[in-house]
Amino acid sequence: MSSPPRTARKSPLAVVIAGVLLLAAVIAAFWVPLYARSTPKLGAFPFFYWYQLILVPVVAIVSWLAYLLLRSDSSAVAADQPAPPAAPHAAAPGTEDGPGAAR
Amino acid sequence: MTHVNAVSLTVLIILFAIVTAVGFAAARWRRAEEMLHLNEWGLAGRGFGSVITWFLLGGDLYTAYTFIAVPALVYATGAAGFFALSYTVMVFPIVFVFAPRLWSVARTHNYVTPADFVRGRYGSRGLSLAVAATGILATMPYIALQLVGIQAVLTVLGLSGSSNGFVRDLPLLLAFAILAGYTFLAGLRAPALTAFIKDTLIYVMVIVAILYIPTRLGGWSHIFGTASTHLAKTNPVTGKPFGAFIPVSAGEWAYATLALGSALALFMYPHAVTGVLASRSRNVIRRNMAVLPAYSLVLGLVALLGYMALASPAVVAGVKAAGKNAQLSVPLLFENMFPSWFAGVGYAAIVIGALVPAAIMSIAAANLFTRNIYVEFFKPDADSRHQTRVSQWVSLLVKAGALAFVFWLPKAFSINLQLLGGIWILQTFPAIVVGLYTRWLHRWALVIGWAAAMIYGTVLAYQQPTAGEPGTHFGASTASIIGHTMYIAVAALVINVVVSVVLTAVFNAVRLPAGADETAPGNYVTDAVPSVRRVPVPGAAAAGGAGPAGATGATGAGGAAASET
Repeated sequence: MSSPPRTARKSPLAVVIAGVLLLAAVIAAFWVPLYARSTPKLGAFPFFYWYQLILVPVVAIVSWLAYLLLRSDSSAVAADQPAPPAAPHAAAPGTEDGPGAAR
Repeated sequence: MTHVNAVSLTVLIILFAIVTAVGFAAARWRRAEEMLHLNEWGLAGRGFGSVITWFLLGGDLYTAYTFIAVPALVYATGAAGFFALSYTVMVFPIVFVFAPRLWSVARTHNYVTPADFVRGRYGSRGLSLAVAATGILATMPYIALQLVGIQAVLTVLGLSGSSNGFVRDLPLLLAFAILAGYTFLAGLRAPALTAFIKDTLIYVMVIVAILYIPTRLGGWSHIFGTASTHLAKTNPVTGKPFGAFIPVSAGEWAYATLALGSALALFMYPHAVTGVLASRSRNVIRRNMAVLPAYSLVLGLVALLGYMALASPAVVAGVKAAGKNAQLSVPLLFENMFPSWFAGVGYAAIVIGALVPAAIMSIAAANLFTRNIYVEFFKPDADSRHQTRVSQWVSLLVKAGALAFVFWLPKAFSINLQLLGGIWILQTFPAIVVGLYTRWLHRWALVIGWAAAMIYGTVLAYQQPTAGEPGTHFGASTASIIGHTMYIAVAALVINVVVSVVLTAVFNAVRLPAGADETAPGNYVTDAVPSVRRVPVPGAAAAGGAGPAGATGATGAGGAAASET
């Protein structure tokens, strides 16, 4: 996820790590030769089948890590106490990234 | 299949009646001051938290596609059908990256549809029209797939045995009439609330099926063994093996491009965008991308039902008797493996699992038409009440369009309906997703790139015959392209991007006006509450788009927030 300079609340390192994690998850599913084979088996399941099924929770964990890395504090508050009608912003369109800038 | 199983049918009808009642009651859920507002009817006040967003997104992403089309493909071709699992593994990391940007800019500028964003970003009514029209067109075959799924259940139930055309389709039309009714009245609230019931049914059904059916069929070893033996046999129709148990190297390109193309396309669909925009914050979206894979797991397990069906001689005989309609494999499996009452639960899960997404899809397509075609080109002064009325009626028309796809396209593999929609919708990817990051691409270059890709993709799809039936059309969504069999959507996307990039360079060189961009860089990363900003569409903001909508979210979200933390 890009982090435009205007909101400097996430460290570039966190963004890079999250990006690499997510990219790895996509490649693990996209690169078919990696898993198009029948061995090693897991129980009765050929590799091709159990690999993809196990990939699902792995990708979920990866996405959760990325979420933790990129979570923004200001919206963590906003998520629990939604939408106090923000009078200060209403008058000034274009300052929507105010909370980030204030930090 | 000529006699009707009364117990299964009764269970199905009772569960269906409950969902219908909840759907109608949904009109009163989180009651808004002004229901006849597109923010309300179409986005339910934009205040959905993590839990509801999860059910809503899951509700519209996992559909008859999951329960009928994918197992049918696995049943008939084996490993190739598992591309759907690979696709749902990839989709969430991809969406994780760009969806928060779309949410932010949409919240800031009060965009309800992807075409709204494109219009604001590129200052181009033409490009916006292209995106809107593509969204409506691509949604229709996807809804058609839901109809085919319902039809499969009704056929196995014995309701579609009549040879009389109208009587045969009566149950289907009836189910859709009920769906249309509650969608019409309650808007997005209906499917969001019924999604809870739908998902509960689906999880129960899948867990029971995965644990119980293998014990009836001699265990997983026997299931996989039967499948791999059958798939290696030669199909007398095509002279080639039926399928492959493990993808062969020639099939890897098709597998990977089908998965990637589907993953990139999914969140271009207007209904998926609706689910994202109806959520409350960027964090809600990201959190959901981490928990939505629970549905992918369901999809993977349901795909295995295709192999279970192959291992059951009764199901194989039933599919053959119905003209080799592989779509019947899962309903037939339920009929043969479960006691009647639980088969009814399974049927209900499939039918409701098809109806809920169909409702969401038709609402989203209707919003697109109203905002980006009707108001934009025909009646700029329509007030919000008028707009909502138009959306309600168009949602009916979209469903009628879907019926046309059911009747006119080959249904040997209903998954092709979804893949055909994917070919079209993916061509809006450059305008929307690239547009979220950069304004470099020129609006007219994007229009021409889109047009070239749409024509190429449609013509190529038209030329593909159904396997073993030369001369038929729209029979497959993959084609042989530069020596590899691959998903047409991906090839068309490459053409789209190349044309757009080259023409952008040309148009910039000759200084063709690029159009105004009403968004600012900060709009794409903000979590802030939207400023009340008048958008060009009168009524959308005038009736108090941001204000009351935010207030509704605040009152309704109290309960949701409490339950999720």
